[in-house]
Amino acid sequence: MKRRGFVGALAALPTVAAQDFPKLEFAVPDFGADPNPKFFSKPHLAALKRLGDLILPAINGTPGAIEARAPEFLDFLLGESPADRQKLYRDGLEALNAQSRRKFAKAFADLDATEADQVLAPMHKPWTYADPVDPLAAFLRAAKADVLTATANSREWISVVSQRNRNASGTAIYWKPVE
Amino acid sequence: MPATKYDVLIIGSGASGATAARQLTKKGIKCLMLDAGPAFDYEKDRVLRPVYDLPYRGFGKPGRFPHVTQANEFTAALWADEKQNPYSYPANDPYYWVRIRRIGGKTLVWGRASWRLSDYEFKAKDHDGFGDNWPLSYADLAPYYDQAEPLLRVSGRKEGWPQLPDGIFLPDESSDSQATGRFIASAKKRGIPTTKQRRAQGTLASSANLILPDALATGNLTIVANAVVRELTVDKKTGLVDGANFVDSHSKRELHAKARIVVVGASCLESTRILLNSGVANSSGVLGHYLFDQFYVKNTVQAIVPEARGGRPAAGMVGGTGYIPRFTNLKGKNKDYIRGYAVDFGSGGTPDPKYFPAYGEELQKAIANHTGAGFNATTMGSVLPRFENHAAIDKRTVDAWGIASLNIQAKYTDNEFKMAKDAMSTLAELCEESGFELLEKHDKMVPPGESIHELGTCRMGDNPKTSVLNQWNQSHDVKNLFVVDGSSFVTGGSQNPTLTITALAMRASDYMAEEMRKGNL
Repeated sequence: MKRRGFVGALAALPTVAAQDFPKLEFAVPDFGADPNPKFFSKPHLAALKRLGDLILPAINGTPGAIEARAPEFLDFLLGESPADRQKLYRDGLEALNAQSRRKFAKAFADLDATEADQVLAPMHKPWTYADPVDPLAAFLRAAKADVLTATANSREWISVVSQRNRNASGTAIYWKPVE
Repeated sequence: MPATKYDVLIIGSGASGATAARQLTKKGIKCLMLDAGPAFDYEKDRVLRPVYDLPYRGFGKPGRFPHVTQANEFTAALWADEKQNPYSYPANDPYYWVRIRRIGGKTLVWGRASWRLSDYEFKAKDHDGFGDNWPLSYADLAPYYDQAEPLLRVSGRKEGWPQLPDGIFLPDESSDSQATGRFIASAKKRGIPTTKQRRAQGTLASSANLILPDALATGNLTIVANAVVRELTVDKKTGLVDGANFVDSHSKRELHAKARIVVVGASCLESTRILLNSGVANSSGVLGHYLFDQFYVKNTVQAIVPEARGGRPAAGMVGGTGYIPRFTNLKGKNKDYIRGYAVDFGSGGTPDPKYFPAYGEELQKAIANHTGAGFNATTMGSVLPRFENHAAIDKRTVDAWGIASLNIQAKYTDNEFKMAKDAMSTLAELCEESGFELLEKHDKMVPPGESIHELGTCRMGDNPKTSVLNQWNQSHDVKNLFVVDGSSFVTGGSQNPTLTITALAMRASDYMAEEMRKGNL
């Protein structure tokens, strides 16, 4: 279309005042769809789900890591992460399963809470600033923080907790990219 | 039509550049300001968003800011992207160079702590024999501190201490909680002083809302955004600088701005990078050297206020913050290190879950039981300026506009390590004497640069053979070149530097204006 024709077509459109433009509601992807995990192997993802459920289970109506789909979110996050972080998780989940098989002849995902607690012994040690040397302990330290954050920052968690505590809205000032 | 030739070209719009613009334009001097960052609309370009609405649930894009621990997914757009703005450092000694490229610079997010330096810093060599004195004294800068504090709306409490001079404060009449009061009493028993924070007030306390509007209102300031300065240009006949070549960050168009005087206030290391890339102001050979900052030991102590356990501390039991100014080595040397450290402390927070050795329901109960029952303190220590800590041009590392970046080498040494260790043990003892239960103590510093208090590399001095600038922030070599940011510092103490940067920029600008009036510039 030539410019004159285009301008003419624009002029023929009915004008819409800003306040008349309908406000459209959009959902975040997690709300309307299920994630497709692709970073972790099936045994590793199963172990991470079990670990997530142990670190932050659903308690008294507050969603836990599973309801918040924190393990699936971490699958996405780790897939985007630097190599050293990916190695920390892969080595840690491998160690988690290896210890479980050595002690109980089954994968971590299949352990009951009492059995799992033995494998998770490093989580009962006081936190120090020195980084753990043991890969499993280092992984558990990272996973604890990540599972808690991924859960507490989920829509599922915030929609429940914000009902009880106005300060838990999970809302903050976002700086838009500027061109 | 040729471009306007301005009286003064100012590079940078943060605390120093904006302050220079304000001082100069109010005296009728025409200024052109170049800033590498974009302009923005404070109302439209900031919105409230829930964290679950962000692509990475608040974690931020992994690996995007490997050296900016302050960045999060809400503020990601503010920080300089390292892929566009790379730099280098020795493999085993990372330097955390934290930059913001947006009108207002780092004042958009600064911690706002506003402390004056004293002659314990300005005349540090006289006091302990190390390094060099500044070419000016506290008395020289005091009148400018008097102007800077009201401009930044600094609140505080007057104490009458020589190591932390009082200023023109909005009064802070807040009371202390029982827990904080107990810590203060424990400190007092040991002769350790404490005071309220001295902090800029307001929803936003940046150069963009507090300083630049005054300059723009004069009609004498033109701001050009997205202008990445490549180098200063020199008039070969006179040896004076006559402007700057810059790149439009979007179009990559190359332009040149002209002025009678050039003021560089692009932030400590960026200013030095510009000078090094320009090949000016370095007859001394010290340009880029004597890089230092304040070392930080974040959460040196994390403790619990026992009576606040249970999840709902009673009103007045916990809460409030305070500050310990330097108290060591004030009268002779009484430690195994020289100079000293300051401490930010506060009660009423909830300790991070990492401190509780538990998971599952047990962890949630521990968090609930300790909600609001925390006490913590962070150490900020003086770092000695050393020649060997430096930044130099790394021609192999260029930014998105083809401009050579910096290789930065900085290490902390025994004086800092001993100071951090002393701070840790002192704070742990104070917690114990206050009846707090210590969860963890440590003396592990964050890497050099992370405090975002980088200073030096273009330091002042009376001797042109050992310094880059004179006491007026004016180049010894090029008399119409001024560098007005933290790069001009000779020592830094343990105080946050922004207030001093602002005062120095005011003083330099007043001198500059007077020299222009006299026809000397």
